[in-house]
Amino acid sequence: MNLARLKPGQKGTITSIGSIGPLKRRLMDMGVLVGEEVKVLKVAPMGDPIEVSIKSYNLSLRKKEAEGIAVEVAG
Amino acid sequence: MSTQLKYKDEESDGEISGRSAEARVITVAVAGNPNSGKSTLINAIAGTRLHVGNWAGVTVEKKEALFDFGGRKIRLVDLPGTYSLSPYSQEEIVARDYLVHERPDLIINVVDATNLERNLYLTVQIMELGIPVVMALNIYDEAQEKGYRIDGKAMEEMLGIAVVPTSATRKTGLDQLLDTALRVADAPKQRVPKKLNYGEDIEVACDYLAKSFRTSYPALTDSYPQRWLLLKLMEQDSHVMRELDLDDLDFLDQALHHLRKAHGEDIESIMADARYSLASGLTREVLHKPELRPTEITEKIDKIVLNRFLGIPIFMAAMWLLFKLTFDLSAPFGAWLGSMTDGPFKRWASALLTPLGAPDWTVSLVNDGVIAGVGSVIVFVPVIFAMMFFITFLEGSGYMARAAFVMDRTMHAIGLHGKSFIPMLLGFGCNVPGIYATRTLENPKDKVLTALLVPLMSCGARLPVYVVFVSAFFPNNSSTVIWSLYVMGILLAVLMGLIFKKTLFRGEAPMFIMELPPYRMPSLHSLCVHTWEKGKHFLYKAGTYIFAVSILVWFLLNLPWGVEHKRDSYLGQAGAVVAPVFQPMGFGTWEAASSLISGVIAKEIVVGTMGEIYAPKKEEQAEVPTLQEDLKEIGVSFGAACSKAVKTLLYLPVPEEKEKDRSALKQALLGVFTPLSSYAFMVFVLLYMPCVVAIAAMRQEFGTWKWAVVGLGYQTALAWCAALIVYQGGRVLGLGG
Ligand SMILES: Nc1nc2c(ncn2[C@@H]2O[C@H](COP(=O)(O)OP(=O)(O)OP(=O)(O)O)[C@@H](O)[C@H]2O)c(=O)[nH]1
Ligand SMILES: [Mg+2]
Repeated sequence: MNLARLKPGQKGTITSIGSIGPLKRRLMDMGVLVGEEVKVLKVAPMGDPIEVSIKSYNLSLRKKEAEGIAVEVAG
Repeated sequence: MSTQLKYKDEESDGEISGRSAEARVITVAVAGNPNSGKSTLINAIAGTRLHVGNWAGVTVEKKEALFDFGGRKIRLVDLPGTYSLSPYSQEEIVARDYLVHERPDLIINVVDATNLERNLYLTVQIMELGIPVVMALNIYDEAQEKGYRIDGKAMEEMLGIAVVPTSATRKTGLDQLLDTALRVADAPKQRVPKKLNYGEDIEVACDYLAKSFRTSYPALTDSYPQRWLLLKLMEQDSHVMRELDLDDLDFLDQALHHLRKAHGEDIESIMADARYSLASGLTREVLHKPELRPTEITEKIDKIVLNRFLGIPIFMAAMWLLFKLTFDLSAPFGAWLGSMTDGPFKRWASALLTPLGAPDWTVSLVNDGVIAGVGSVIVFVPVIFAMMFFITFLEGSGYMARAAFVMDRTMHAIGLHGKSFIPMLLGFGCNVPGIYATRTLENPKDKVLTALLVPLMSCGARLPVYVVFVSAFFPNNSSTVIWSLYVMGILLAVLMGLIFKKTLFRGEAPMFIMELPPYRMPSLHSLCVHTWEKGKHFLYKAGTYIFAVSILVWFLLNLPWGVEHKRDSYLGQAGAVVAPVFQPMGFGTWEAASSLISGVIAKEIVVGTMGEIYAPKKEEQAEVPTLQEDLKEIGVSFGAACSKAVKTLLYLPVPEEKEKDRSALKQALLGVFTPLSSYAFMVFVLLYMPCVVAIAAMRQEFGTWKWAVVGLGYQTALAWCAALIVYQGGRVLGLGG
């Protein structure tokens, strides 16, 4: 399962971050780390990007980037 | 503020040492995450008017504020916000370079108390620099409203730095922050932040690296903060490696070898994990959140604003409403100013000048040149200010980031991302800050492309042109017509983006990662201050180069000396040469052509020049009102304008006034343009080459003339084509000609 496939309202725990280089670094600097819980809040009007809540703030990112983030859906 | 977090005076450790310490200017860098309130804090402390807004990346350049506190001189340096000291975009590099290379006496780390963990991740990195740090636990008011309890005392102990809760918007905790800052600055040795333990593996590797590095590069160890440099080397930070010109360090590989093996991950991840575990550990210790979390207002608003189906229509409707309000509210005041410059001011100028023995031509220079030219622009000051007010509101509310979110898909199609939309929205106020705001884009290609598209956003200076024409030709749907021009600007930006993407800027679409801040209600005071900051620039322009150009235009209209018809003047002749170019668009008159030529300096000059060209020949006044009558009339009509504006705001019916429009310019335009050709003219003004200031800004931002010239060229071509299509298309459709 990856973050892009979660529906709004669904939560998951990050198990790996597939991206590399500066993008990965940026994601980590913004708190997107393995073991972190994310919740998808919204999908933008035209289906992309998505808004997620992580470390008690809201972050938006594109599905393409979200696809690289593997998550495990709780329960 | 009720607080358990007062910074306690630890047995007075710093008698200020001698007079020299007092005379010294203390340099304090203000650093922190984007949108944590750094600029607001400096504004509150030093009384500056730095640009603030509720989205990440408002400040893109370092700004300084010098002020006195307790008899000491303090220089506050506002830095762009950054998520970490490994910069990603250009404005973050500015912040990092300042902190690393300029070595301020003290760093005030502004931390968003509602978003503690991510902010502390930066704090941990700032502490690596070995510069004394004081933490401003800002936005404390919101944290309290949410029911957060933050144990600042514990935080002080764990980090070894002073923590002061503040609210920059409510101006609480500021004196305490400064007191603390001074105390720390006076005893820097005792106040160097603790060295935080990053875990045994990292520390061992770091120690090993320290030894080898010190022997191999003794000179380098002094020019950088020690621990920070070692950690960056371990992360193989590309900026540092490039700055130091280090490529292969075999001892680095040895130091990292064990670390890599033990963790099975890349070093960057290991380091980020180490820092974040410190930040989360700390957060767990000091932050107590309430069990139940009520649905927040931000979620409720976003449900509507970011709705899958309503999002884009709402954006368009919000824009339309914005123009309607701007226009309706300011129109009465504009008309009031217009009646003043047209009537009393000219009479007063003649009354003043004639007795002084001024020759006729000076009176004409003042009346038909300066007052007609500057006056026609001044009339639009209310519209411009109203517009700036709404833009300031959008900036402060948090909608900017939402607009970026909603528009990202569209922007993606043209090879940009949603964040590029923010410079464009700013461009609606003035294109110049829009061009500078492209700095927040990570990718140089995006920056250039966005900056090329920003001038298609209709800025405040173009409003005067629209307002004159719209009120003459489309009095009943004025806001809709103006709105259509703004929308046309956006659509053409999308189109041009597509074309550029296919030609000049081929390649991968950039990535898009952006924080969405909570909505906030800007205070009326800050709205007014920042509206003024944006709007005063137009007043300044009116007083300086619009004034100068008005005089120049007057001369060009009256030379060679004693010309009978303005058409035969130099300006008239120049206009007549260019005019045929505009023939197919329906405004091939020398008047239109010469206004467009002078409008290259600044677009509102188009109106100023027209004001001069169409200035009526000496008014045949039946009876001249006295000064008292004039003053009374001005007062009365101002009152009427106010009541009209209030009524429009409340949607009360405004009595249809039979008042014939006295503006000479409007009358003249009605005689030369048709509704269709006036629309084509407005389209042309919207699109043709950016004003000289915008061109200079592009040149400065990109360090070459290349992109400024590309912008100038494509826009003028686009303007010509678009106006042609509008005019000829309109004729085919039978909309008159
Ligand atoms: N409630 C509350 N809001 C605040 C406080 N301080 C700042 N804000 C708001 O937070 C937003 C961001 O403020 P800025 O001063 O622009 O933030 P910044 O840190 O300079 O941001 P960048 O320049 O983007 O790095 C604005 O909407 C402010 O009104 C505070 O103490 N309390
Ligand atoms: Mg700022």
